[in-house]
Amino acid sequence: MCNWHKPMRLLPRFFLRVIISLAFFATTVWSSQVQSTLQMPPEWNKALDSLADKIGTTAKPAKTFSLDVRNISSLNADDVSSLRRTLVENLTGLGLTLTQRMPADAQLQLTLSESAEDYVWVTEIRRGGAREVVMVSAAREIVKNPSSAGPSVTLQRKSIWEQAGKILDFGLVSDAVAAGSSILVILEPDKLSFYEYRSGEWQLTRAVAVARVRPVQRDVRGRIDLPAGKAELADAECSGNFQRPETVTCSSVAAGYDAAFVTKPIFMQGRTVDSYVTLAPACGIGPLTLVTGPGDWTEPDFIQAFGLKNQAGAVSEKILVPGPILALWASEDGNSARVVSRNLQTGAYEASIVSVSCGD
Amino acid sequence: MKLRLFLFLAAISVVLAVVAAPLRPARRPRYGGTLRVEIGTIVRSLDPSVAANPEEADAKDELDALLYDRRSEDGTFVGAAGSGVFRLSAWEAEKSAVFAANEDYRAGRPFVDSIEVQMGRSTHERLLDLELNKADFAQIPAELARQAADHGVRVSASQPDELLALVFLKGRTATENARVREAIARCIDRAAIVNFILQKEGEPAGGLLPQWSSGTAFLFPTETDARSAKEIWTQISPSPKLVLGYDSVDTLEQSVAERIVVNAKEAGISLVSRAIPNPGTASAHAGSEALRGDTIHVDARLIRLRMPSPMPRVALAAFIDVLGPLGGIEAGPLPENASPEDIYNSERSIISGGRVAPLVWMPQVYGLSARVRDWKQPVAGESWPLADVWLDSTTDAR
Repeated sequence: MCNWHKPMRLLPRFFLRVIISLAFFATTVWSSQVQSTLQMPPEWNKALDSLADKIGTTAKPAKTFSLDVRNISSLNADDVSSLRRTLVENLTGLGLTLTQRMPADAQLQLTLSESAEDYVWVTEIRRGGAREVVMVSAAREIVKNPSSAGPSVTLQRKSIWEQAGKILDFGLVSDAVAAGSSILVILEPDKLSFYEYRSGEWQLTRAVAVARVRPVQRDVRGRIDLPAGKAELADAECSGNFQRPETVTCSSVAAGYDAAFVTKPIFMQGRTVDSYVTLAPACGIGPLTLVTGPGDWTEPDFIQAFGLKNQAGAVSEKILVPGPILALWASEDGNSARVVSRNLQTGAYEASIVSVSCGD
Repeated sequence: MKLRLFLFLAAISVVLAVVAAPLRPARRPRYGGTLRVEIGTIVRSLDPSVAANPEEADAKDELDALLYDRRSEDGTFVGAAGSGVFRLSAWEAEKSAVFAANEDYRAGRPFVDSIEVQMGRSTHERLLDLELNKADFAQIPAELARQAADHGVRVSASQPDELLALVFLKGRTATENARVREAIARCIDRAAIVNFILQKEGEPAGGLLPQWSSGTAFLFPTETDARSAKEIWTQISPSPKLVLGYDSVDTLEQSVAERIVVNAKEAGISLVSRAIPNPGTASAHAGSEALRGDTIHVDARLIRLRMPSPMPRVALAAFIDVLGPLGGIEAGPLPENASPEDIYNSERSIISGGRVAPLVWMPQVYGLSARVRDWKQPVAGESWPLADVWLDSTTDAR
């Protein structure tokens, strides 16, 4: 086989590939930047405003600054670049100018760290021989997955609620439905609690005790069915109009096998999966299966999406969860999933919603 | 031919995967069985009204947590004995105890039927019994975690939540000079303590809170600076002779004290180590009187501080409660809504005072038998969650 002419034919194709790759890369970078900026929670913007103010005050009378960013937290690269860009914009707005020319009037080292509670963003300001430290904290509200060219579905986990006591399930009645403020319903082993969103925070409005003849099982499971106005446990049931908490009552029922709360295991990815949900068709893939990790209740967990028809390959990156996922239920519209997990670092039970969006 | 071989191997892999799948640990817990626990200390009484000596305090606390319903905010137990997740069914003071599942516990009966506790088991005995599958659960010193894992013991380590620190005792003339304290603090090679004594099961400490809790520990340097320590020491005249105390029954403290003496010698500092009899091990919620070691003269001593909570404000406040009277450290109370900056500033003010030199952070390490399922490391301040573990009947105890 004579293929001496191939290099000549490949040359233009090579350039074409380079151009396409560069265009793709540029588009990916641009879109991820736009996406990150758009998705940055308002609390983070507030925290960055506050950090910029502190830096501006401490660095006075500096006119120029250099900025070095180090990430030692669970934030991903997109978040880091987005936070850096926003901080630079804020500092520029305060009359400071970012310079590459050394030495700048103030050398800033931004460290994105995290504590047991929140993100902690620390700036060390070096000016002359002096070193000052300023910092702010920001809620760990959103855990996003890094965008990549491979999977075509993006999972986002939004934390809704956390508490020390065990959570079995939760539900959100939006303000549109509840005619006023949103209602958060938390099902616990011994009570059903209703919170209303008022003045920027959830406030407990009612807690209905779950009366029992026998003590609750240690591995009790439960589920809230908002449209049906029901919260079910193996040995108790609460019912009423969840948009009007005062109508809800709980009563003991004959304890039975809690099969209703156990999903039938499926075999995929070379393992038996007993914690999963099926969501509505999305992103042109068809129905999605959200699957949790193979560990037990002692390990961090993850959620990953697979196509229902072809379960061979994941269609999303993994969303890491800092503790075992204890309950996973599909939402009423089938477009998102309710997740209850336990944070192994803090011991708190966390309620969060995992939603699906399309694109890289 | 190659294709056939490939297909054959692929088929074998699929069959093995399917066969192996049911053997993977089930997530659904099972009820029943007896959990065999071994502890190193001797507990004389489980009655909370009987004062425990410092050595037995932690173990007694863990056992009482099985018996009592819950704790109040000040840490005392609420309810009657037996109102907790277990009831005491047999008790031989200083030797053994058997706890039976409380069928009527409000949060559900525990998964295991009973827990057998053997007391006074030495570290060697505990490790051996874990290796031989004669014990299901035992605490292991952090410095022996690697050795235990090498011997096939299933090891579980927490976030580092116990601080080993050097405290310059209040009222000692030799250490009233801040330069003396600074020279000693600078000469200590914390990385060597972690790498060689703790066998890498820990991390150097520069601040009073670990990085995972405060998020600001990285702001406190942990590097050794023998050269400047030497320079500082040469400027002190007359240079005092110092004594560093350690708990006589704590082999880790002894090793660390001896290592610090070596570091000090290298910097020209005159420091000797000396065992303090019966001071007991300290925890952040233990009283500080037992920590002084006044029976033998020491200028500084090593102290262990366990975080009572993962929350940085709570942990720092508890540490200040212990360090305050011991080292004469004065720090204002932290407000309920203290920001990370408030906590960092308080921590920095204590460290810059030089009365305490943090050395290393250590995790709580536990050895577990293969049949113990759903063991979750307790978060700082939590009791052992033995009510939540269950025993896998497919992995029988020998």
